Amino acid sequence: MNVRLSLVLGLGLVGWGLPVLAHGVVLEHRQVGSVEVVAQYETGEPMANAQVVVYAPDNPTEAWQQGTTDDQGRFSFVPDETLPGSWEVMVRQAGHGGVMTIPVSAAMADGAPPGEPDEASDSPARAEGTELEPNSGPNSVISPRTSLSPVQRGITIGSVIWGFVGTALFFARGKR
Amino acid sequence: MHIPDGILSAQVCAAGYAVTGLATWYSLRQINRQPNPTAAVPKASLLTAAFFVASSIYIPVPPASVHLILNGLLGVVLGYFAFPAILIGLFFQALVIGHGGITTLGVNAAMMGIPALLAYHIFQRRNSLGKFLGEPTRTGLFAFLGGALGLGVAALIFLALIILNIPAQLDGEAERAAVLTLSIAHIPLAMVEGVFTTMLVLFLRRVKPEILEG
Repeated sequence: MNVRLSLVLGLGLVGWGLPVLAHGVVLEHRQVGSVEVVAQYETGEPMANAQVVVYAPDNPTEAWQQGTTDDQGRFSFVPDETLPGSWEVMVRQAGHGGVMTIPVSAAMADGAPPGEPDEASDSPARAEGTELEPNSGPNSVISPRTSLSPVQRGITIGSVIWGFVGTALFFARGKR
Repeated sequence: MHIPDGILSAQVCAAGYAVTGLATWYSLRQINRQPNPTAAVPKASLLTAAFFVASSIYIPVPPASVHLILNGLLGVVLGYFAFPAILIGLFFQALVIGHGGITTLGVNAAMMGIPALLAYHIFQRRNSLGKFLGEPTRTGLFAFLGGALGLGVAALIFLALIILNIPAQLDGEAERAAVLTLSIAHIPLAMVEGVFTTMLVLFLRRVKPEILEG
């Protein structure tokens, strides 16, 4: 039983909102880029209540944040904008899980124009940003295997089984 | 219950390969001592294919799901051929369907293969320990014990390996509870595999008893 972790990055929608002042109450809002991790078993079952440990790029040995996934296997966190680089997220449940690397660029922090959370956009990096956008396509820790199409996988499985059957037939051919 | 890559430390993976190497060598030596070592190869090949396919049959047991393993059955029917059969089956499972991993192949093979050899020895005791029972009952009971214990012992090894290797940053309590739940989920599966092994063995006993002699 392996685990497929797919990743959806909500892109940086950073910008200072207008402060609202009324009777001494200060409310302000600020949109920051968050990362959403979706963890599911190979069968498509979500990994509910799995443990998640987030490691910041500057300290890959100490947990930066810990939490658990929800019923849908989702977990969101807001990476520290002052720490661009490769963030690592480990998801574990009952001996199953994996680690994935999430590239976070400083562009997420630097006043990116507001927009809808963007999934899998192939747009080129913005002109103002020297850094590339975080890879926003669904990411997977087991990418080598998921790259096989169902047909390819079926053929491979069929060949392996036929290999065993062929071996059996070869040795069972009897005395000549 | 295959352990995927990245869960165990390098030392544990290396130890797994060492144990598997030793067990493979021992099994092959025992096979070579048989009067006709290749005689059981067709049987072993077909059951390796069955083992390879079995792990894609899922039975959902929250919080995860379990799948058939058939290691006890392989032990009962194949004897010393079971270990190489499981090793090869696991290699292809890791490669083709992504169950387990290449770094953990040694650990997984030891975890499932050694209980299979245990199952074989349990089944072979049917004529000495089971003297007081009548013939079909005796064979059936020991086949059940072999099939169920083969999986049960493998699940215990899995439990121990995971609990002893929880990374420090993880909430150990929660992970232990989750692993324990998953291991308990293997008890009904052990019953299923025990029954399946019994049915197969009783069928073979009726149609081709010499298969069970080896």
